[in-house]
Amino acid sequence: MTAAAPTPSLAPVSRRSPVLVQLGGLYGLWLREVKRAVRDRGQLVGGFSRPILWVLILGIGLNPYFRGEVYGEVTFVVPFTYLQFIFPAVVALNIMYTSVQSAISVIWDREFGFLREVLVSPLSRSTVLLGKVLGGATVAMAHGSLVLVLARFADVPLTWGTVAKALGVMAMLALALTSLGIVIANRIRSFEGFGVFSNAVILPLYFTSSSIFPLDPALTRAQTRVVYPDWLVTLVEYNPLTYAVDTLRGVLIHYNQFDPRLGLLIMAVAGIVLFTIALLDFRRA
Amino acid sequence: MAEGTAPAPPIRVDAISRRFGRTLALDGVSFEVRDREFFALLGPNGAGKTTLLHILCTVLRPDSGQALIRGLDVVRQPLAARRLLGIVFQEASLDDRLTVRENLDLHGLVFGVPGALRRRRIDEMLALVELTAWADRTTRTLSSGMKRRLEIARALIHDSEILLLDEPTAGLDAQSRERIWSYIRRLRGERHITVLVTTHYIEEVEGCDRVCIVDRGRVLALDAPETLKRTHGGQMLRIVPRGDDDRRAILGRFADRLKGEAGDAILLASDDAFVEAFLADCGRRIRSMTVEIPSLETVFLTLTGRALRDQSAGESERTRAFGRRGGEHTR
Repeated sequence: MTAAAPTPSLAPVSRRSPVLVQLGGLYGLWLREVKRAVRDRGQLVGGFSRPILWVLILGIGLNPYFRGEVYGEVTFVVPFTYLQFIFPAVVALNIMYTSVQSAISVIWDREFGFLREVLVSPLSRSTVLLGKVLGGATVAMAHGSLVLVLARFADVPLTWGTVAKALGVMAMLALALTSLGIVIANRIRSFEGFGVFSNAVILPLYFTSSSIFPLDPALTRAQTRVVYPDWLVTLVEYNPLTYAVDTLRGVLIHYNQFDPRLGLLIMAVAGIVLFTIALLDFRRA
Repeated sequence: MAEGTAPAPPIRVDAISRRFGRTLALDGVSFEVRDREFFALLGPNGAGKTTLLHILCTVLRPDSGQALIRGLDVVRQPLAARRLLGIVFQEASLDDRLTVRENLDLHGLVFGVPGALRRRRIDEMLALVELTAWADRTTRTLSSGMKRRLEIARALIHDSEILLLDEPTAGLDAQSRERIWSYIRRLRGERHITVLVTTHYIEEVEGCDRVCIVDRGRVLALDAPETLKRTHGGQMLRIVPRGDDDRRAILGRFADRLKGEAGDAILLASDDAFVEAFLADCGRRIRSMTVEIPSLETVFLTLTGRALRDQSAGESERTRAFGRRGGEHTR
């Protein structure tokens, strides 16, 4: 097969500086995650219905029972309603679902070859991973913000300042959780559904994070262990999510069970450690 | 390769070996692809073609040996090498939730093609593979032939000068296959481009400049298709003996002509005179006989003693099957 005389080599692609290439690629990968999320009906439905169920149905339904009364005697008084109490936790729940869900798409990227396309590009592995994490975290934050829209139904007054602070905490949470999701996804070879994750990772973390019931704030630590079984208190105290939710709760309804800085520290450390693990996995793969 | 004088060849592979567990996928493979050549790697599934391609496109490291893309070592300078390569993998690697244009745009971004040039290249490439009308359709809605065309277009967005295609026509119908080849031919006319394809469709490599036949991780022959046919082709008789006695008799009598055995059949080197002599002599001993005229198929038979074989599917088939069934909205 002889080809006709070729036109001389095309003007080569102008050489962008390597940093600019990485940034451009990062933007491209981030944009891809966001576009995919917007087109994913299933995920959107979950993002809307979850807060509505938890806040409007469960929250309003349980609201009247959230009293510290035992046989007419008030054991402790909390300065908020159940609806207010659960509200920040539902924000965290929505972030958690969406983060892990975005991260799990790594499995599909891997199995259906898209990952390969990126791995033969001039992007470094860390750029590829960062694009995925930032994209997933952005989508997760958007889903978390959907919950904030329900604030008025939960009697949570929002000022711009509060929202800004809450978004900051949400971003840290989303980044850490997306990294967690990717670490898990990297270790999974055969995958047949997201349900396993929601039941084995998300819900257990959520239920033991002091999200839907407070560890009685008026009691001392010793007394708490009398009211609640020991194992439960231990679980709650060892669950890192407890502290993240607590920090967010402090921002939104000004109630903390722990030092709010503890939550920030845990999220930052967990985020960095998990991202590093994910990167190491990724380099090896 | 001396710098400054003649440019380094597009692809040079030097004694590459790669082992997966106990199987030696590549066993000291060496060859060089010339500038603007249309080079085909021909071999059965499992011959090591894809492994070799993965090494060339820097996603897999060789255990030993060296692969150079225009003099750039794929292990030591992968990023620079990748800029020169346009790659079409065996399995689709498109994001099927993005549109055709978005897929191309993402590729341009990822390869650092500046905005204006990127848009121009996208339009040119869409026109080349005749997908302009589909630019804003979700990739998911394309047929597999169209997806393959889109991937070829994508591999060229960043002005790659070496195009690597892994089984570009596998799984496509005859018409789509012919179309893919016609695009590649047209591309070679329009651009300064070197093309390396792997395939196990023997009839497709007839139009290549040179064919490299690989099997079990080794290079068996490398030359222009015509030359290969002349040197290794030869006419062959494919004989199925009637029974074991007949088989033994034929094998004993024509041991010097034996080219190989494929299942029941015996392959003998032949020419017109031999056919007559054979029939007169052993006509009663055979169940069937076919005269195979020189073709790349007979070249392959001669070199490997086997016909091109097919193989079973890979590992993560379960997850994929799940995804294809409609899977999960996480996809």
